[in-house]
Formats: sequence, structure tokens, C-alpha cells
Amino acid sequence: MAVYDFLPEHINTWTRSDPAVAYDRETIFDYIDGAGEVYRSFAFREVVVLVYTAQEAPDITVELFDMGNPADAYGVFSYTREREETGIGGGYEQKGRVLCFWQDRYYVCVASKERSDRSDRALPELAGAIAERLPTATDPPELVGMLPDEGRVQFSERFFHLHQSLNYHYYLARENVLDLSSETDAVLARYAPGSTYLLLVRYASADDAAAARASFRRGYLRDTEAAGTVETEAGKFLSHSQRDRYVIVVLDAESERAAVDLLRAAEGRLPPPPQ
Amino acid sequence: MAKTRTALSRRDFMKGVGGALAGMAIGLPASASGRVTQAGMSRVVLIRDKNVVSGYRDYDGSLVQQMLDEAVVALFGRDDATACWAQIIRPDDVVGIKSNGWPYLPTPPEVERAIVRGVRQAGVPEENIAVGDRDVRRNQVFRRSTALINTRPMRTHAWSGVGSLIKNYIMFDNPPDYHADACASLAKLWDLPITRGKTRLNVLVMLTPQFHNIGPHHFDTDYIWPYGGLIVSTDPVAADALGLRIIQQKRRLVFGEDRPLQPTAHHIALADTEYGLGNAGMDKIELVRLGWQEDNLI
Repeated sequence: MAVYDFLPEHINTWTRSDPAVAYDRETIFDYIDGAGEVYRSFAFREVVVLVYTAQEAPDITVELFDMGNPADAYGVFSYTREREETGIGGGYEQKGRVLCFWQDRYYVCVASKERSDRSDRALPELAGAIAERLPTATDPPELVGMLPDEGRVQFSERFFHLHQSLNYHYYLARENVLDLSSETDAVLARYAPGSTYLLLVRYASADDAAAARASFRRGYLRDTEAAGTVETEAGKFLSHSQRDRYVIVVLDAESERAAVDLLRAAEGRLPPPPQ
Repeated sequence: MAKTRTALSRRDFMKGVGGALAGMAIGLPASASGRVTQAGMSRVVLIRDKNVVSGYRDYDGSLVQQMLDEAVVALFGRDDATACWAQIIRPDDVVGIKSNGWPYLPTPPEVERAIVRGVRQAGVPEENIAVGDRDVRRNQVFRRSTALINTRPMRTHAWSGVGSLIKNYIMFDNPPDYHADACASLAKLWDLPITRGKTRLNVLVMLTPQFHNIGPHHFDTDYIWPYGGLIVSTDPVAADALGLRIIQQKRRLVFGEDRPLQPTAHHIALADTEYGLGNAGMDKIELVRLGWQEDNLI
């Protein structure tokens, strides 16, 4: 089914008023300037943009992003998410005059040209109607399901692939010390108490994971800190490990014990290595 | 132009190992700045007016003109604005005014008109003046320009931390070439044949700055505020560093915590430490405050 088919001429009381415009990985900058790189950091294929109008309702711009796969649709949704509501797609967030949700491999944003009580009501209505037309998959990426639940800050999970994305969510280092790439899946989440981060990265192979951990030791830790838990700054502790294809890093824990406990909890959630 | 690339990490920022300045300027919860530079001080004028903003994209053009006039007088120390413009622009200059056309928060036409008026006061004929953004590489005035004026609003940006004066020159080249590492190398744009040594004035528009994003590229008026300011300097790095501090302070007030920009706007600090384009450290900025002082956040 073509992306356009999800956005027909009429949706409930809305009518498509403009011809749809599509942008792909090369032309996305014509539409979104440099922030187009956020989408390109995932398996983004194209975005279709058009406007719906209805009587006595504000014009609403619809952007339907084909993110290539459901995990990356979730990833771009989680990129700047602060809250999440249920009931539309795999989850949605409405801020101001913009509502975005993800479903299957699609990330959809509906934006009213003006903010009003009417637009506040119209956005979820139109978004819900679009969601009904999309494929129904709404499971978050498998990696997100591996995060320990205890202490996890709600809506703090970020799924991504690239070093630049990690630095967006948590500035680690200018260099790509964890060998992140489009071939790696990563999830970062925040934990309480304090503001502790857990980073879980899945590599293509155990050898790749081992190489990445070695790179991390060389690039981020000092010679005397290669193993165990490290106090990276006053009162903040780092712990790290590798299991099969996975590298786990705990950052900014409030104590050595807290760092190790979270690391062990994360290790306990990993699937068993293949026999 | 380029100096040495530094392998900065979060630990460097926190420990103050060579990156203390960067830590300040990029917005990590930071220790104090402790930089060393051979450059001199940069004068930056911050001028504000309580009444210049009436609403979203609704500005008083006469007050904008008055603010810019007062700012250039304070910046260059001449008797009046006309003398200041005559100091930086010759009648035979061909002047490109690099604006910004982001649809939600463009450079206000009121600011563009005030700058054009100043350039005209310097004796430049209309046909030798152009205002542009995305078309600058094709625009014949920009292509034969001998002087540039750089102006844009500051806003948070999902790939570079903030949209800055430094970043505003990205349309002078192929933008994706500068996207790596949160646009860390943007200062290179100031060393292109079309830009090198031409910039006579930078006007960072802080009338309604944007301090937070919705998603990677959306906009809502909830995240701008009527600061009512212009930041004017010949040093784009110093002007950006000041604007960045104001935005960071606004974020602290609104969010009730020290919430760093995402991503960090380290291209501003690196414009100083790696490219020598200007001064990002407050110890090298001579700040002149004019006009409305309430809630100036700096």
C-alpha cells in the first residue's frame, strides 16, 4: 500500500486541500532544514505532507513519515518525547498545536495552523482517523523491553542507532567511542533516584560488542579505570559490562553500589546467549 | 583558520580539562570558564525595549529602528548611527544582508528594513543591496558582495543545539557537509571565498527567542517569550555565546532545573577554541547593556 493511500481525499469531515508533497532522504532538507538529520539518523524513507480542511475547524497539516520499520518509528517518536498518552497508535504526545504518534513503521504528526480549543479537539480526532488506516503494529522495540523496570523514569526511554543521537540524549564524547552505527541498536533510559542513565547497545556480533567495549575503555576511561566501577566525577559513578552482543553502560549513578546494582539488573534482563 | 581538533568528552567538561570553556558554552551543567586566548576583548551590545513586541511576529518597526541605531552607536562609539554605518560600509560596497527564513520564526522584516536603512545611509545604492537566505549562492548581489551583514533570531535547534549567527551562513555552502557532530564545524563557513573577511556586523534577534523544541522540527508559541532584545556585535561568536546564555537561563527558569540543550550547542565554543573566529568566553566579552533591564537573564 502506498503512503498516499493512508491519506485519502476525505477523512471524516476533513477534505484534503493541497496536492501532497513528498520528500525523501535527499530532499528532506528542503522541508526541514538541518533537523532533517534527526529523521535520517533512522531508516527514514520519505515523508508525505498535505493539508486537510474542514468547515469551522482550523487547517491541519499532516506529515506521514515512513521510517522504514516499526522500531525506528518508535525511535523518532521517543526522540523528544516528554509525555505519552495512549489511545492513538503505539502512543502519542500532544504539545501545543502539534500531535505526533507512531504506529507500525509510520511516524505521523498533525499540526494545526492556529492554537485554539477547537484545534485541541481536532488534532486527536484526525490523528485517530489516520491511525485506523495504518497497519496495526504497536509493540516498542525489543531492546526497550529489556530495560529493568525498577526505578525507570516514565517516558525517558530513547531508541536510536547513531553516536550523534547518543550525544543528543546524553553528551558522552565527541568521538564515537562506542562504535555506534546504523548497524547497532541502542536504548537509553533514565533511572531514579538521582539522574542515572542506563545505556544498552546491541551489536551485530559478540566480537563487535567486545571491540566496542574495548574502544570505550580506551576512549573514555583512563588506564587505571579499565575494569570495575569508576567515579567519573565527584559523586557520580560509571559501570560497564559486555554480554554476548550487548554492551551495558551505567552513567551518573549516585553510588558505586547503585551503579553495580543497575548493571546487574540490566544483565539479568538480557536473552541467554546462543548455545 | 582551523586550529587543532580536540577530543572532548563529558568527563573533560566536568573536570575542566581543556574543555571548561566548552562546558560553559554548550550548556552542560558546568564548572566555571577558565580559557586562555590570544585574542582581544569583543564588545557586544544587548539592547532591549519592553514595548517592541506586541505578540507573535508582531513588532514595532520604529522601536526596532531606534534600538538598532542606539546599539550601533554604543558598539562603535560614534556620535550617531549614520556615522557608525559609514564606518563599516563604504558607498561602493556591494552588501548582502544574510537573513533567515525559517517560516515559524524568520528574521523580522522590521529588522531587515532597519539594516537596509543603515546601509543606504552609508551611501550604498539600492541595486547593490540584497536581503536573502536560501538563495544566497545564486543571488548576484551576494555573489559579488564586498560586505555582509548577518542577522537572524536565536532558537533552539534539534541538530545544532541552537540556530545561531555562526550557523546562519550555512546556506553559503552545501548544508549537509556541516551536519556532523551536531554541526561542530560551522565556523568553517566563515572562511569560504564568498564570506571570508566580509562580515561587518552581526545582529542576533532576541525579540522572541525560542528556548525549547517540539519534536525535531515543529514549533509552538508556548516556547518563545517576549524578551524584546537585539544583540549586536562585530564578533558573531561573542554575540552567540551571550544569546546562548540567555536561552539557557530561560530554560532553568521554566523547567526549574539545569536542563542542557539537546544537542549541546558546542559549535559556538569550538568556533572560538578550534577556529579562532571570535570569543565565546564571558571573560573576553565586554557587555554593554542598554534599555529595559528587567528579567534580562544575563
